[in-house]
Amino acid sequence: MSPSRRNPARDQVAIVGLGRSPYGRDRVGCTPGSLVLDAAIAAARDAGVGAADIDGLCGSTVATAYVQAALGIGRVSWFANPASVIGNQIVAAVAAVHSGMCETALVYHNAYRMPFASRSAGRDPMRRRAMLGLAETRSAWGTGHAESGANSMFGANAYAAWAGRYLHDYGYGRDTLGLVAINSRTNAGRNDNAVYRDPLTMQDYLAGRMVRDPLSVYDMDIPVDAADAFIITTTERARDLAQPPVLIHAASLGSTDYGIEEQLLDLNHAGQVVVAERLWAKSELELADVDVFYPYEGFSNIALSWFENVGYCGRGEGGAFVRQHWVEDQQRILIDGRIPVNTHGGSLSEGGTQGAGHLYEACLQLRGAAGIRQVPGASVALVTPGGYYFNSQGFLLRRDG
Amino acid sequence: MTHDELLDAFPGVRVDQDNAAYYRGLLEERVVVNRCDDCASWHHPARSACPRCWSRSLTPTAVAGTGTIVLLTVLHQGSRKEGADFNVGHPLVAVELDEQPGLRLGGTVLGADPATLQLGERVRVVVRRLEGRGPRVDFERMS
Ligand SMILES: [Zn+2]
Repeated sequence: MSPSRRNPARDQVAIVGLGRSPYGRDRVGCTPGSLVLDAAIAAARDAGVGAADIDGLCGSTVATAYVQAALGIGRVSWFANPASVIGNQIVAAVAAVHSGMCETALVYHNAYRMPFASRSAGRDPMRRRAMLGLAETRSAWGTGHAESGANSMFGANAYAAWAGRYLHDYGYGRDTLGLVAINSRTNAGRNDNAVYRDPLTMQDYLAGRMVRDPLSVYDMDIPVDAADAFIITTTERARDLAQPPVLIHAASLGSTDYGIEEQLLDLNHAGQVVVAERLWAKSELELADVDVFYPYEGFSNIALSWFENVGYCGRGEGGAFVRQHWVEDQQRILIDGRIPVNTHGGSLSEGGTQGAGHLYEACLQLRGAAGIRQVPGASVALVTPGGYYFNSQGFLLRRDG
Repeated sequence: MTHDELLDAFPGVRVDQDNAAYYRGLLEERVVVNRCDDCASWHHPARSACPRCWSRSLTPTAVAGTGTIVLLTVLHQGSRKEGADFNVGHPLVAVELDEQPGLRLGGTVLGADPATLQLGERVRVVVRRLEGRGPRVDFERMS
């Protein structure tokens, strides 16, 4: 069956408010809830809406009921806490706004350094209780995962194994992954919100502490305390609000019958393939229209697969493509000498917020509000958060008018 | 064996009605995988329907336990509670069983220098008893 071309919501729903709680590796005194409130208040003020204007709520792990009570949002007619970030929240809100379940939705996601994520987080006694009341992550999935730990192909372990398989099958060395990490770091140098801004050389990269072979510390996203929030409403209403609307031209999630990580047959069966097929089928834009590209790189190999799946190159050619479009004197990727990639520094250097930071930056660029890193004339952004299995997602965003 | 006894044998593992046969098999040092009575295809982890033909008629069936490494990483970091040597490097593999393409189990490779392990190597299942965790599937080299 060829992918459906239906897209009645095309350009009808917009992102019109942006807010965030600054990304940090050493923040104290914050909770997941306080981070979300920082971002939510900032996003509403940015859009010029108040509690009475918000009638939809959609978040990740912090319950919408918490946010609604904390911000005194009197009445909402739609709310949801879908699992995978950030695409599920955005897609749900687009559907809710377009279908009339609500008019103006507040969408949010936060990251929080759990005590196992870093030494400094582990020293914070209150973080040690932060898991209380949360389901054990693995059992909560309900996907068939029954065990965790060093003998299980799960999460980061499996991404490392797939990275190894990729390098092996297509004959690349680790320096190929290094280009993704260096690109992020170079771009982060121009982003005050990024937690790592010092330049990274290939020599530094190759000397990085090995964590899960072939992935080193530089190949894996940086745990941060952070939150991002978005105000989503009809394009019509957005045009009356404070900021230039960013139109959601096309959006898609993607998943296949992978089972659990090691059962994924091969990278042709990743959810990313579904996203790309459906995204292009329902879009009136083409890859050549894209001015800025945001492939998720929470693990560096994921970004190489996105280059392949969205159509810049064929399967296994992502590594060669990145090298071919590498600009040595800028130490970053410019596709065809023009299109920058992860202009904010991505999860590897801005900080790991599971793609929410990628989306936020794309909106900033399309508003023309990215300051010293603004890409001149950026009018179409391709944002592809998520990895291989349960959280592949893509967005084509464009400037209004 | 009662459900309570089975759960007690696997602390920390999400044993349920769908996968109980797999874990009961491990207690007998056998690897038992769901096989469809109607189309003969295998699936893992165990679920209550055949993903190929939707049959609900499934029989947990012992596999030969031989296969090929299709995914490989070496872990250099982890919890001390795991009892693995992260200094040398702890190998973690997915093995495609000979019974069916895509039918895979994950585990470590026992007694192997991680630096010498390669994708495509032949291995066999070892059911290993771990202190306080119950038996689990790992692998050893065939040659
Ligand atoms: Zn069947």
